[in-house]
Amino acid sequence: MSKIGLVIAREFNERVRKRSFLITTILTPLLMVGLIGGMVAMMSLRSSDTKTIEVIDSSGVVGPRLEDAGTIDYLPTERTLEEINASHESTWGVLVVGPNVMTDPSDVRLYSYSSSTFEIEAAIAGAISSIIETEKLKGYDIEELPRIMAEVKTDVRLTAYKVDESGGEKESSSMLSMGLAYGLGFLMYMFVLLYGVQVMNGVIEEKNSKVLEVIVSSVRPFELMMGKIVGIACVAVTQFVIWVAVIAVFGTIVVHRMVPEDILAAAQSMSATGGVGADGLGMPTGTPAAEMGADMSALVDNPEAVAALGSMMDLGYIVPMLAVFLVFFAGGYLLYAAAFAAVGSAVDNVQDSQQFQMPITLPLVFGMIGMINAMQDPNGPIAFWLSLVPFTSPMVMVERIPYGVPAWQLALSIALLVATFVAMVWLAGKIYRVGIFMYGKKPSLRELAKWISYKS
Amino acid sequence: MIIRAESVVKQYGSFRALDGVSLSIPRGSVFGLLGPNGAGKTTLIRIVNRITAPDTGSVFFDGRPLQPADVARIGYLPEERGLYKKMRVGAQVLYFAQLKGLSKAEAERRAREWFVRFGIEGWWNKKIEELSKGMAQKVQFITTVLHEPELLIFDEPFSGFDPLNAQLLKDEMLRLRDRGATIIFSTHNMASVEEVCTHIALINGGRNILEGTLDEVRARHGSVEERVVVRQSLSMHDIFIKAVNNHEL
Repeated sequence: MSKIGLVIAREFNERVRKRSFLITTILTPLLMVGLIGGMVAMMSLRSSDTKTIEVIDSSGVVGPRLEDAGTIDYLPTERTLEEINASHESTWGVLVVGPNVMTDPSDVRLYSYSSSTFEIEAAIAGAISSIIETEKLKGYDIEELPRIMAEVKTDVRLTAYKVDESGGEKESSSMLSMGLAYGLGFLMYMFVLLYGVQVMNGVIEEKNSKVLEVIVSSVRPFELMMGKIVGIACVAVTQFVIWVAVIAVFGTIVVHRMVPEDILAAAQSMSATGGVGADGLGMPTGTPAAEMGADMSALVDNPEAVAALGSMMDLGYIVPMLAVFLVFFAGGYLLYAAAFAAVGSAVDNVQDSQQFQMPITLPLVFGMIGMINAMQDPNGPIAFWLSLVPFTSPMVMVERIPYGVPAWQLALSIALLVATFVAMVWLAGKIYRVGIFMYGKKPSLRELAKWISYKS
Repeated sequence: MIIRAESVVKQYGSFRALDGVSLSIPRGSVFGLLGPNGAGKTTLIRIVNRITAPDTGSVFFDGRPLQPADVARIGYLPEERGLYKKMRVGAQVLYFAQLKGLSKAEAERRAREWFVRFGIEGWWNKKIEELSKGMAQKVQFITTVLHEPELLIFDEPFSGFDPLNAQLLKDEMLRLRDRGATIIFSTHNMASVEEVCTHIALINGGRNILEGTLDEVRARHGSVEERVVVRQSLSMHDIFIKAVNNHEL
């Protein structure tokens, strides 16, 4: 094995065999899946809790027509508000409908004994609105009104398509791909920062244990630095791959357990056809909704959810995205890790490194902010420029990918990134080979610049 | 000559660590590299180890310019000892040996022998941080000699050793010499210089102010008077002080 290979192997093996690596690698995805599972469980718990609302109706119109919906039970009552206030064992709240509600829609009040939510208020207001609208329509004395109403009722479902350069249509990625892109961008930030700092700490540790002098009598400082950077990158990639695998396995189990068979079939048929075309989307609406629970019928009526589920199972969609992520991770990580290695070599301890870390973390944080901005307008000028500038491109470009990035932009961005990290590695190597033998006083930035001109 | 340095200059910023040092180290010698603190000994050793390169001047190994591959034929025990604290002893020894070009199997075979010789077989799976300082020094010595280098460079090898282990180390050094290795021995301990060295060089202020076999140096620096009156050769300790004091920087 070559010397740099030996260094890479040592860095990799020492880190991967640590108990802390094992624990974070296994626990993090479990925690993430657990968190999502917990949220789903909480949502289903909440929805099963029925709320009884007593209705004091002075209009005589609204009360009899209110139908229980979802978790809300309406209970018409003869009692007054004061009487109910005095004893309201199982009552969640009181709805008071004024006598002139037909002409004055603001004559409706809701009193609740526990805190109300926007969701409940919207449901009640919606229900009363549609009763009043229907009653008003009846006043026009139209024949066969119920039949006409049923026919008129329309529920628009919008499916967005993105027309790519070849003229082909692709279902436009929305919520899921946005979330995935944002997640990957954030992961990029986290990985570059976490593992970059690991490189720095590794260099400081070698410097403190004085082991460097022995090592560099066998290995060139540049090889040692690159070996450490690449070795730690391998750790990062290993961790990432394990996370993806664990999430995929657990995600599949969760999906199969929690999602009914027919929705799964619909989603699968969608991903089988590549998620293209209205057939796949139209299908779920044909499924008789009555056969399912109310919650699930909502899901089937929601092509977005089925599409999301479909693309989750569609590897053809995710693989190129992960590939781009890995390319930009490699470039961005090398760029930042080299800078962190230079900082580590220049100082004796982590405390002293703070001052030099600032200029490194600043562009990272800037890229993070740019990424959030770019989400609003993924093809706008901010997103465009930040996805080309090498210090921010790894995050912003990964974030832009699902919205469709022209090939030339991708190529230019990668080329710029490669050129910059080559320059950064060269510069860091110059500082590193001098820094590792400097003990004591923390150098100034000017001294660092002077080191670059030293002969090796 | 296994090592020949010619007018080696090394400058760090405004500080001139080596100011035209020339010296020759004969094959098979035990060469004492002496000098006060800050004289430039460590810089010279680093140049021989190719850790750093001279600004001007050149170094020859075995008659031809020093090359990157030559480091595999050199073993270096620096004054500032250091091993990876979290790494296991065995893995660490193998790592350093492989960096010097040994195969893993060969490195392991030799390392097991050394561990038996030093009576430390039980340490193979211990971490360095579990060892005492003296124990770690033994491990470091093994990493220095495992690849059986032709040239061994020991910088203050006995510091941190108790007398018993210092003797063990000295015996091992002489055994390696008897097997043909050349040894560069940098120390402030003049007694051990007189005991083991065949040649010395005295560096001061980045220059070589004295070089030769032990007898040559004594002959040159003991005055006739001293030799006659005292009837014994001047001690290295006295020569060191005298030469440094007489040397104008």
